[in-house]
Amino acid sequence: MKQHLGRQSGVQTVEVSLIDGKVDVTPKEDGQIDPAQLLKATYDSGVSVAEMDMTARGKIVKDSSGSFAIQVAPNRSFALVPNELSKGLEPLADSATQVTVRGQLYKKLAGKKKADASVPLKLLILEVQKKE
Amino acid sequence: MNTKRVAMLVLLGAMVVVPAAQAQIKHIEMRVEGMT
Repeated sequence: MKQHLGRQSGVQTVEVSLIDGKVDVTPKEDGQIDPAQLLKATYDSGVSVAEMDMTARGKIVKDSSGSFAIQVAPNRSFALVPNELSKGLEPLADSATQVTVRGQLYKKLAGKKKADASVPLKLLILEVQKKE
Repeated sequence: MNTKRVAMLVLLGAMVVVPAAQAQIKHIEMRVEGMT
């Protein structure tokens, strides 16, 4: 699995802890990493993902439907799951302020074996680390 | 002359600082099941 993930686009290093089932992925700075692709690659290597968390820096944007998202690359953004933390970031929408957040992108539902690749990943913000 | 030199320094400084301030995914952590 480590080798398979390490071959994915935008991945710099992969650290696997067999004891607690944790996989740490450090992206390259080229912005090419795709969490959805990583999720699929993990399943393809024969293990199931219980949870995926991401730390990212980006701008808060508001789309045409009025939903908020964090833009982490010119062509990549993640819709925000509304919660208290995301509401606190809404006033920053479409401003130049960059925020660094940690959040949950995926959590396996009880009884489900595999992630549904057709559903776009949404970010549930767990922590706002920085606003600048 | 001095103005040109200062402008050049500011430009070079910006080139160093801007990539570090770019939006990006910094880290991804997964909890997996069924690993042997």
